[in-house]
Amino acid sequence: MIFTTHTTKSGFLLPSIHSAPPFFTEQPNPATQAIATDHWIRLILGYARHRKLFFLKVEDAETSSNDWDEVLKNERINRKVLPSHLSYVLEAMVKKNVAVYEPSKQTRTVMLYWRTPEEWAETLHNWASSTGQLTTILTYYDITDPPVESELTGIPVPLLKKAIAILAKAGKAQVIGISEGEGVRFFAGN
Amino acid sequence: MHRKGVGLAAFDRREQSNRSFAELSSALNKSQIDHLHAQLTQFRAALVHFASTHRDSIKNDPSFRHAFQQMCSSIGVDPLAGPRKGGWWAELLGLGDWQYELGVQIVDICVSTRERNGGMIEMSELIRLITKLRGVDHGAVTEDDVARSISTLRPLKAGYQVTVVGGRKMVRSVVKELDEDQTTILILAQEEGGRVVEDMLVQRRGWTRERAHAAMDNMLLRDGLCWLDEQDEHEGRAYWVPSAMQWDL
Repeated sequence: MIFTTHTTKSGFLLPSIHSAPPFFTEQPNPATQAIATDHWIRLILGYARHRKLFFLKVEDAETSSNDWDEVLKNERINRKVLPSHLSYVLEAMVKKNVAVYEPSKQTRTVMLYWRTPEEWAETLHNWASSTGQLTTILTYYDITDPPVESELTGIPVPLLKKAIAILAKAGKAQVIGISEGEGVRFFAGN
Repeated sequence: MHRKGVGLAAFDRREQSNRSFAELSSALNKSQIDHLHAQLTQFRAALVHFASTHRDSIKNDPSFRHAFQQMCSSIGVDPLAGPRKGGWWAELLGLGDWQYELGVQIVDICVSTRERNGGMIEMSELIRLITKLRGVDHGAVTEDDVARSISTLRPLKAGYQVTVVGGRKMVRSVVKELDEDQTTILILAQEEGGRVVEDMLVQRRGWTRERAHAAMDNMLLRDGLCWLDEQDEHEGRAYWVPSAMQWDL
């Protein structure tokens, strides 16, 4: 049996380990499990980046036909990730700080950091300055759903807030109360 | 009248002839040494010529390299002897570097695949990955080259060794002796493309169920030489031995 990479319908290149049947089982040997988990984390983040997915839920391993099918299942070898296994991977991701439980106080859904909040902060500031919107008051909606699609299109508000908080700390943004709730204003900074 | 040569003059004569013999012998010695020097210079020039004309072939053509290595060993020359051992030969050829470089690549692959194969890799798989790593320009690498490089790694005491399991050459990169049961399982895994279930050991090798279970458990939990698959279609529970699986990176 030869284990090969595979390109999915969405154009994502799955690594060869994804075609190995035991990859879909939690490993009882802790060293082996650590290796497998690292592979899973890399794969999940890579796929999330490819498809611009921000959330992963334990439920995604329970239901079919969702955004994660291509990764959580391998129909060619008839294997799938079981919910308990996925739950373990999510926990490992949170521990490694490449995801956070969102909302907090539950452990079934994570928000993925395929870019760190710091990287998002930079992206956000670059976007605001390159589109000439420094010092303009913007609503969160203006950012997550701009008329011209940007890298930030579709970014979840909790993640956006984290990025803004980082910029605010550096004196490059200010959160402002406006009629529809909260808005933000960006500054050039130093 | 016959002179007996017993007078004082005889001593002089003998001394004189001794002197001339000594002169003659040193002259002879000198000419021999000169001759030897000349020969050595010639030999060296020939080697330099050989090295410069064939260096590329030695590095790039496995069969040429093999023939060259054999020639060296039959005349008792070590082409790998480094410059410090007076091996200007190695310097000329750059073969020592070539061999060490290959050694580094072997270590690279053994270490980077160790996590998934537990430190055992099949020779053909290793060569396949090395070839991939080196790219096409560097020419092919043979089993012979790999074995030779591994022997140059011996002073590192990292446990790199070529072993034969079930008629197949495997390179082991961990200091670990395989016991008989593990060897049997590895052979079976190779026949099966990596997948082993306890039933195979019971039915084909005549093991008791307990022995099969214990051996697989050891492979899985103690040694990390195999991975568990709980979604196997036929048995529900199968073991996969990564070192017997062929991976495309």
